[in-house]
Amino acid sequence: MRISIQHLTKIFPSRTKGGAAVHAVEDMCIEIPSGKLVGLLGPSGCGKSTTLFMLSGLESPSSGKILFDDQDVTTLAAEKRGIGLVFQNYALYPHMTVEQNIRFPLDNMRIKKEEGNARALDAARLVQIEDLMARKPNELSGGQQQRVAIARALVKMPNVLLLDEPLSNLDARLRLQTREEIKRIQRETGITTVFVTHDQEEAMSICDIMVVMKLGVVQQIGEPQSIYDDPNNLFVANFLGTPPINIFKGRIEGGRVYIGGEVVAQTNYDDREVYVGIRPEGFIYDAEGALTLPVDHIEVMGRDKSVVATHESSTKPTVRCIIDSDVMLPAGATELKFNIKPYKLFLFDAETEERLR
Amino acid sequence: MANKKDVGPSTPKRHNRFVRYWINLGARIKGWFVDKWTAIKDFFGGFRNRNPKQVEADLVLNDGPQLTRGEKFRRGMKAQSGWLFVAPALILMLVFTFWPILAAFINAFKQNYNSLSGTYEGIGFENFVRVIRGDTGTGGASFNQCLVNTLLFTIISVPLSTLLALIISVALNSIKALQKAYQTILFLPYLTNSLAMGAVFATFFTIIGTEKNIETVGLVNNVLQGLGLAPVEWIKASSPVWNLGAIKIPWAKYIVVIVYEVWSGLPFKILILFSAMQSINKQYYDAAKVDGASRNTILWRITAPMVSPQISYLLVTGIMGGMKQYTAIVGIFGEQMGTNYDMGTVVGYIYRYVDNGQYGYAFAGSILLFLIIMVITWINNKVTKKHTTYR
Repeated sequence: MRISIQHLTKIFPSRTKGGAAVHAVEDMCIEIPSGKLVGLLGPSGCGKSTTLFMLSGLESPSSGKILFDDQDVTTLAAEKRGIGLVFQNYALYPHMTVEQNIRFPLDNMRIKKEEGNARALDAARLVQIEDLMARKPNELSGGQQQRVAIARALVKMPNVLLLDEPLSNLDARLRLQTREEIKRIQRETGITTVFVTHDQEEAMSICDIMVVMKLGVVQQIGEPQSIYDDPNNLFVANFLGTPPINIFKGRIEGGRVYIGGEVVAQTNYDDREVYVGIRPEGFIYDAEGALTLPVDHIEVMGRDKSVVATHESSTKPTVRCIIDSDVMLPAGATELKFNIKPYKLFLFDAETEERLR
Repeated sequence: MANKKDVGPSTPKRHNRFVRYWINLGARIKGWFVDKWTAIKDFFGGFRNRNPKQVEADLVLNDGPQLTRGEKFRRGMKAQSGWLFVAPALILMLVFTFWPILAAFINAFKQNYNSLSGTYEGIGFENFVRVIRGDTGTGGASFNQCLVNTLLFTIISVPLSTLLALIISVALNSIKALQKAYQTILFLPYLTNSLAMGAVFATFFTIIGTEKNIETVGLVNNVLQGLGLAPVEWIKASSPVWNLGAIKIPWAKYIVVIVYEVWSGLPFKILILFSAMQSINKQYYDAAKVDGASRNTILWRITAPMVSPQISYLLVTGIMGGMKQYTAIVGIFGEQMGTNYDMGTVVGYIYRYVDNGQYGYAFAGSILLFLIIMVITWINNKVTKKHTTYR
């Protein structure tokens, strides 16, 4: 099912009298093609969960429209939208067995017992919990509980599957495994899926389309790689990537980009103050290089090594450069010189923080 | 230990055994006081200059028993200090709860027990036999009649009021405006004296005036008349009765009692269930909504199971309380508990025999009540454990 979000806005009135109302989501426009896995990404409080709940029908928007295919569902009740929702803490009914939990939506649809059993078993097979059907939720591990929650959402064959922070309650290893699982289930069922996360790595790794949000405003929409390679503004550049991008205070003078006294790139823009963003993998060691970095220490990771340096223009305490492990660095050097890969260097206006392309 | 005075070889004069005994005793008593006095002195002195490290070192070095008298006393007191805090409640309970229970058990088996002289004419089960057979030599409702009354009141009113409380709590939980106000109003009956409430109920139901000159038929009969029904005599002797041999069921009076019990039981039950419902995670309801559950489904498949521990608590305590019902009956039907005690409860029966001095029957009745409540509670626990989900 295609989802179209048009000028969606949610304003929560202030709790205190005369306080400012909270604009949780502002003028959001997204087109989601059918059968895609979409990640809403942003720091906490950016309105991504609110967006998800508006899609589910549990929250009603202050203004704007939501279309499923061509049907306007903005005012449609949650149960009539044909969605499956997986809550952050799963919301499994503690007094029901796994089977009863999965069957619950079917019981409400008044589906016959045999068919219901078959469908519940199918859903359980899909998430690989068919052996646990007789257990109660408190007898399951966190990962298993989450599978039950996904099965419960899938069993009614929803048009849209919504996941609210699906991985945040799992430990690190399980998280890796589960995110692949979600990708697999989504691919097998072909259901348009929207999920919310604050973990950029998680979003980058499984999304078809990623939506980066900040304070209720959509910053950028696109494929994860293209957002990473071509961020719209400083926030997006900063939010994506581990280790994070290095940001320097710099300036443009006569078509040349300066960091401190050194020229690191050429540009067509007029003279102005800028932020220069350089991805950690954008450094090439060169004894005659353009940028001089005082080295703090070098971390050897096996596959590559990471030079941890400092720079007086850097907005962060350290500068990180990742270079291949077979590049030989002079031993005991206190300063290293680097050339910068042009496509790993981004310029942002110092005032608006917008990208200068 | 006692500072035994040496009265042996060093003393020039040797007393005879009688005198020796008294001297010895005196010395021991004095020794006891001296010992305690040393202990107390050490104890308070110890507070002032006790160096914990030094005490520990002494303990290790001297292997325990070499501690000062005060230190030993202090440690002993500390180890046993729990008793000190329990003592006031424990003493009161021993005097006013445990002893009466024990006394009731003992005296229930004494035949023709006279409470003034403490005399009795034999030991056995005669009191119990007479109570159960209704052969107590006084008029009024038998024990069996009282037991049937009590059981029926309880079995009908407790589940009914729990169910009503559940539904009212759900309704209360789903409104936002004036929720606190409604909550307060619903809780008011809990703060009202049960005798006063009984009196109010009596006026709702009583027909005042003679048969030829009725002044008022009461509020409830007014409503019945409005619906085109004949007024019913709810309270007085002419109230309608079903005769089932030895047992009589004055159903009109039953209705009055049950309405009263349901109503007066509501506030506490609503309080418990409502607060339990408020602590249920709202996400369960969101999930149910997304899954298309109807209101009915949400109530019976989500809310009720979630508050099932509270429901079972209310049923168990409600049944226990119902089995001990007494004041409401007196409030509505007066001290005679209806006509010749026909609305009497088991506790009412016990009071009757306390009143007329035939304590043996009262004791036997209370032991029987105790056993009945015990059995019911045991069954209750078995049943509710099976059907209760604990979160």
